[in-house]
Amino acid sequence: MTDSATTPPSQPMAVLPGGEVTENGPMLAADGRPLKHSLNRALRREKLRAFLLISPLLVFILVAFVAPIAEMLFRSVENQIVSETLPRTVAALREDQNLPEAAPGEPVYEALYTDLFIAAEYKSHTRLGSRLNYESTGLSSLFRGTGRDVGRFDTDIYTDQFVEAAPALEDPVAWSNWMADDEIREALPFTADAWDAWVTLTVEANEDDPLEEDVEDFVYTALYRDFANGASPSGFPDVDVSNFESVSIKALFEESDEDWVDPDVWQVIKTYSPNYTDGYFLNSVDMMNGPGGEAEWRPESEQIYLKLFWRTMWMSMAITFSCILLGYPIAFLLSTLPLRTANVLMILVLLPFWTSLLVRTSAWKVLLQQQGVINDTLVWLGLVDDLNRLQLINNATGTVIAMTHILLPFMILPLYSVMKTIPPSYMRAAKSMGANDWTAFWRVWFPLSVPGIGAGSILAFILSIGYYITPEIVGGTSGVFISNRIAYHISSSLNWGLAAALGTILLALVLTLYWVYDRIVGIDNVKLGG
Amino acid sequence: MAQGSSSEAFVEFERVQKSYDGEKLVVKDLNLSLPKGEFLTMLGPSGSGKTTCLMMLAGFETATHGEIRLDGKSINNIPPHKRGIGMVFQNYALFPHMTVGENLSFPLEVRKLGKSEREKKIARALDMVQMGEFKNRRPTQLSGGQQQRIALARALVFEPELVLMDEPLGALDKQLRETLQFEITDLAHRLGITVVYVTHDQTEALTMSDRVAVFDDGRIQQLAPPDELYEKPQNSFVAQFIGENNTLEGVVERIDATSCLVRLDDGELIDALPVNVSKVGERTRVSIRPERVESNLERLHADAHTLPATVQEFIYMGDTFRTRLKVAGRDDFIMKTRNAPDQPRLKPGEQIRIGWLAEDCRALDA
Amino acid sequence: MAGLPPYASTGQKVWHYSYLVICAAIFFFLIAPILIIIPLSFNAENFFTFTPEMLALDPEGYSTKHYRDFFTNPDWQVPLWNSLKIAPVATFLSVALGTLAAIGLSQPHVPFRRAIMAILISPMIVPLIISAAGMYFFYSRIGLQGTYWGVVLAHAALGIPFVIITVTATLVGFDRSLTRAAANLGAGPVRTFFKVQMPLILPGVVSGGLFAFITSFDEVVVVLFVGSAGQKTLPWQMFTGLREQISPTILAAATVLISISVVLLVTLEVLRRRSERLRGMSPG
Repeated sequence: MTDSATTPPSQPMAVLPGGEVTENGPMLAADGRPLKHSLNRALRREKLRAFLLISPLLVFILVAFVAPIAEMLFRSVENQIVSETLPRTVAALREDQNLPEAAPGEPVYEALYTDLFIAAEYKSHTRLGSRLNYESTGLSSLFRGTGRDVGRFDTDIYTDQFVEAAPALEDPVAWSNWMADDEIREALPFTADAWDAWVTLTVEANEDDPLEEDVEDFVYTALYRDFANGASPSGFPDVDVSNFESVSIKALFEESDEDWVDPDVWQVIKTYSPNYTDGYFLNSVDMMNGPGGEAEWRPESEQIYLKLFWRTMWMSMAITFSCILLGYPIAFLLSTLPLRTANVLMILVLLPFWTSLLVRTSAWKVLLQQQGVINDTLVWLGLVDDLNRLQLINNATGTVIAMTHILLPFMILPLYSVMKTIPPSYMRAAKSMGANDWTAFWRVWFPLSVPGIGAGSILAFILSIGYYITPEIVGGTSGVFISNRIAYHISSSLNWGLAAALGTILLALVLTLYWVYDRIVGIDNVKLGG
Repeated sequence: MAQGSSSEAFVEFERVQKSYDGEKLVVKDLNLSLPKGEFLTMLGPSGSGKTTCLMMLAGFETATHGEIRLDGKSINNIPPHKRGIGMVFQNYALFPHMTVGENLSFPLEVRKLGKSEREKKIARALDMVQMGEFKNRRPTQLSGGQQQRIALARALVFEPELVLMDEPLGALDKQLRETLQFEITDLAHRLGITVVYVTHDQTEALTMSDRVAVFDDGRIQQLAPPDELYEKPQNSFVAQFIGENNTLEGVVERIDATSCLVRLDDGELIDALPVNVSKVGERTRVSIRPERVESNLERLHADAHTLPATVQEFIYMGDTFRTRLKVAGRDDFIMKTRNAPDQPRLKPGEQIRIGWLAEDCRALDA
Repeated sequence: MAGLPPYASTGQKVWHYSYLVICAAIFFFLIAPILIIIPLSFNAENFFTFTPEMLALDPEGYSTKHYRDFFTNPDWQVPLWNSLKIAPVATFLSVALGTLAAIGLSQPHVPFRRAIMAILISPMIVPLIISAAGMYFFYSRIGLQGTYWGVVLAHAALGIPFVIITVTATLVGFDRSLTRAAANLGAGPVRTFFKVQMPLILPGVVSGGLFAFITSFDEVVVVLFVGSAGQKTLPWQMFTGLREQISPTILAAATVLISISVVLLVTLEVLRRRSERLRGMSPG
């Protein structure tokens, strides 16, 4: 008798030839294509579908959030204002050999004359002045003052002499024809450049027709330079300039403000003439580009940012530490109480968490005042003399107290969520082995709760070093953070580049901590409201 | 009970293969057909491909090769929600935001049934599982067994002809499991539905099913009614997997159509039934059920081969005695004997001889 | 912590009770500054501390004049309405985009999942002053600075991390066999989404929305820079009030905001309970 004979016909045995055929060659899908391909295709489709769901938000965040951050990073090194406002001067400075010992030569001043004349028409010289003023005080008024004067420079002598020698030179239409001729343009480079600038200026800034306007003095000045260089293009009125009465542009500038012949001023302009600069970053760490171009410390009296960074750090640490100190007992209590009681007490943690930041800050502003509730109570209790009320606000104390209160829930919540996962049996086991309360806590519970301390501390620290509102309101001058300085530079001093550089440093700091937090806790594990 | 596969197959798998990564086959060439009304269990260790087969039948996985037919029509390209197959999930998958009644109503609403008809069917289905008064409860307010019953009712409420069950009793305790095993088979037979049941619990498979398909390594190792599966395993995997089993290894010495002689590795000769062996010199693994091992040699043929054995341990189990023996160099050989007056109670260290009927000892693949 | 065993030593008893006192003091520190605002806001005088009349519980010492000022003075009413015009729209944007993305992120195969997640969460981590500075520069460039939509966009970006976090958390606990069960019972993908998946993740979506709302409603730094006088919000008004001359009406405003917080907190707690109940025996 063989049992195998009773096997039903459809019953497959351990090995069937059909299975082997496809196992040896590449596996094929139902449509005959290699299975791997169709599986990959299916996977790609799945990825694409997931990506399509995510992409609207991703695009949104990139535009509404990431691009602004990128813009800020860009602004921290961007410095096109000098080369955009004074293009000719920057080019001429590159050729100049006199710096840094002496003021630059005449060609630089001639270029500056054209640049400044145009900038004054656009009124962009004042912006440049304030920009350069961040690097060396006094430059703002220098640009402002000379910007007013530059239109009245005594260069009209060239205009008069040229027009007298060749009256056709007074006619803008004739000018426009000459300047359409490439040969003439080539022979009179300064003139062509000045003419183009004048035409653009007339059209753009003054909205006039250049063919009906008097040609400005600076074009004739440029023409004089070209002729003085020996140009004599055909088709252009030939004027002999050797007998012309001339004037030194440098002297005109010196007359307007003698700072113009100060090599230090020129050194600043030269240092900040490239399109990108490390100047803002150097400024952020209390350094500057010295006259030789090397980085050097700023004078002691101007060193404020390192101190501010340092203060931001230590105050954040102090706040984080107070949060641990106050948060740990609470989290421990909540995690050991029965769930029902813990949930009720949790409300006391969550209510501040959910209450408007402004409300909490207002509360502290009201409470901490010298005539506020806390001082009143202390006086009433006789702990403080009425005349010596405590100064609790507008200093570091105020910031630390208010911020600890504000960030405490951010410490308690992660601590609690870690502690809740520690089984109570561990403590019981420790005690059954003879440990007393303290040993059981210190050797068993505490090590297990350390991840919670880590998570809470990083979170509190990250939030703290970027805080703006609370320090601004209760911090006075000695309790403010780097954020407040950034806000000041954006809205008051308008030194956006410096604000951006300070912001970039702060951002780098925060992102490093964020990365650490992601490593330790994982961003997916961020929990909100317990 | 056994119904061999027949021409009017209701569910058919034909040369079905499945691979998740294009390299490894999870299901290798599956052929299976079951007639209407059969209760078939897919049994196997985890990762053997049984759940994948069930998911392919339900439509949650697609076969990479081959065809699956329901009532003669290929369902390869029918999405799961159009297949009309009832299913009971491993963790019940009751919708937590709906009451029991709403859960049962869901498939009927999808099928656009009128309100009164829905109410009637829901009431009937709940009565069927004796859960009539729980209609307005939420699933989370029910115990595991109650949830299981509701899941069953939900799978049956729209009167599918085929119901799939994926380890439905896995999360329940033993006693409840046995009650529900009985209830499920009873219900299935009463309603005449076809059931494909997946489990890794062999007792469940043996007690509930008309036929059991034992899965391993992506293949059906044996498809047979429970008694046949237990008594006549076709290969050593099935022999090992179903019930308790003693294994000895050796080489075929002599073979004919109905019996063979195997020389064990320590030189002893035994009689066996050739199942998976065909020629002399082949290595084989012989399998004997503990209850078929005989120490009373008078009950055997006179010319039967016997083996010497040393008693290692004697365990009193009430109705049976369980004796662990050292046989042919292995000390995990189990002999199960009935607690009868003439049955000696052996002591550790005692030397005995054991034997068996040739047809109880199956020579399988090595 | 629940009570002391009978064998506790004196030291243990002292420690136990002093520990409870310490905890009570910390709870007091947490909650008192908020609660004390409420009675102070009913001060009949323009003081920021309790007057002797108030301490004597004399009805003369109390009045609702600060509330009258809050609800009639355009200095407060205009910002209040601005806040109410900005926050819901920003919330809607965050919730719509955030929920969609969270569902996408919960799919099994998402390329660069971690990096995308980090970018989407970053508005919560980057200090507000930096976001505000960047947005001020960038929005001026594209002409959004000082406009209603500029503020809405900025606030929506700030609210998104909260939506992502809460919705993802609900989806993590989501049992895939539920959608399979729905399909098996005959429901197509659309019906499955609206009848099974959506109701189950709804608590997460709503609490994410509440977070996004409160983020926008409380936000002051970004609106200070991105907004202009036309978008002055309630927190902005409070901030200027606190920085310049502080008027007691601010206490009334604060009390109103506290009531809103309490309502939100209760709503959230109800939602959390509901969600936990829905997810039943397998919490978390």
